[in-house]
Amino acid sequence: MNTARLAVFAPVDSTARVEAVVRRLTDAIALGLLTDGEQLPSEAELAAQLGVSTVTLREALMALRQQGLVETRRGRGGGSFVRAPDSLDVGVRLRAYAVDELRDLGDHYAAIAGAAARLAAQRALPSDLAPLRRSLAEMATADWDGRLRRLDGRFRVEVAAASQSARLTQEEIRLQADIGPLLWLSRDERRGHDEMSVRRLLDQHQTLVEAIAAGDGDRARALAERHVQDAMDHLIELRLRLQE
Amino acid sequence: MTSTVSTSAGSTAQVGTAVARVAQLTDQVYAALREVRDATVTALRDSLGAAPAPVVADLAALRPLLWRRLGALIAGIGFIAAPGLLADAPWYLEWWQENPSGRPVQLLRDLDPSSSAFYDYTHWDWYTGPQAGVEHTICGPYVDYLCTDEYSLTLSVPVTVSGAFLGVAAADVFVRRFEAAVLPALREIPGPAFLTNAEGRVVASTTARWITGAAYRGAPGFTAHPIRDLPLSLVAADT
Repeated sequence: MNTARLAVFAPVDSTARVEAVVRRLTDAIALGLLTDGEQLPSEAELAAQLGVSTVTLREALMALRQQGLVETRRGRGGGSFVRAPDSLDVGVRLRAYAVDELRDLGDHYAAIAGAAARLAAQRALPSDLAPLRRSLAEMATADWDGRLRRLDGRFRVEVAAASQSARLTQEEIRLQADIGPLLWLSRDERRGHDEMSVRRLLDQHQTLVEAIAAGDGDRARALAERHVQDAMDHLIELRLRLQE
Repeated sequence: MTSTVSTSAGSTAQVGTAVARVAQLTDQVYAALREVRDATVTALRDSLGAAPAPVVADLAALRPLLWRRLGALIAGIGFIAAPGLLADAPWYLEWWQENPSGRPVQLLRDLDPSSSAFYDYTHWDWYTGPQAGVEHTICGPYVDYLCTDEYSLTLSVPVTVSGAFLGVAAADVFVRRFEAAVLPALREIPGPAFLTNAEGRVVASTTARWITGAAYRGAPGFTAHPIRDLPLSLVAADT
């Protein structure tokens, strides 16, 4: 049988499966569900849990290793370990994006965050607001940057979930995986992890929660869009400076 | 949600039928949860208060039961341990999900709240309700971004031994399946009718004015009918 025919009979969407596994694990790492240094289950175990073949899983792990998100050590005490991108250099990450890509990502993220915030304001009930307030309270007392970042991610997912839309929530999680770490790193670069910058972030979130609680959908949307656009404007400025 | 309980002439019979249908569906799930509760108590009884204390492996005895109860309405089911119950895991879920392409899969999460921002489960309504002693808790509809990415309901009951709280038996039901199961009965009711949770979140509906996921905050001309002791109401237009 020639190669072309073999390709025809290759398992359907095995590439899509690899991508799905890569995306799932990338999301989990970006959101802090999987943490730096954490050991992943054995290949056989992980493949079984994710419902994919070992071959598919190995391909996905290879891609994650190339992205620096997973490290594999051989021998005794070996295995695959998570490498959270906390320490990734903004410049290195940013060079991978053209300015128009950043703008487009920002447009997409603002649309998702804005739409989710508007629907959340229309639909949120007290049990949807409680997690938001709890996350803000925890953020106010977070004692290190990694924890603050994870809580910030959780807060944004909770706002999206308050919209009652599973698709918007999935999209929020995906976009956080794509652009979240970069936005966070740029924030560090801009202001450092000092009390002022944390205060400002909390104030932004607090204002958004109030708009949602008041049922003011237009205001909630405008605020959520503004927050994304501000952060993205800054990221684009950083990117433009890299070219000089 | 403001509501008055009354029966209105005209659609009483159909409302009664729909109420009975909803009660029957939730009963199916609660019957499975009572089985999980009993099996958990049996699995842990010998080691409770004794040395050695119960461990994760003791809960493996639940698996055949959990697997059998998956399917139909139930997409995920299990026992969630109260933190500190088990000697070898401070946080633990014996949680299984249906898998359309094969054997059920166990949910494995990073359950260390100091490293994960997400998985301190003790603040979720499906945990706090049973913990406070409520027999029938229904959480949601909500976007379950932790497990299934689906719009879901989580039903839960407390698991206790001689008054001591061990944890929670819970089951996930996808809203789309629950909706499909109750809609035929709702459609029999003349005029708009919909099912809400205790807070007023719409679970299933025959009117675009309050569609699944919308918040019902009371309206003139509508009456909320309780569904037994369950945290659900059937709202129908007065006739």
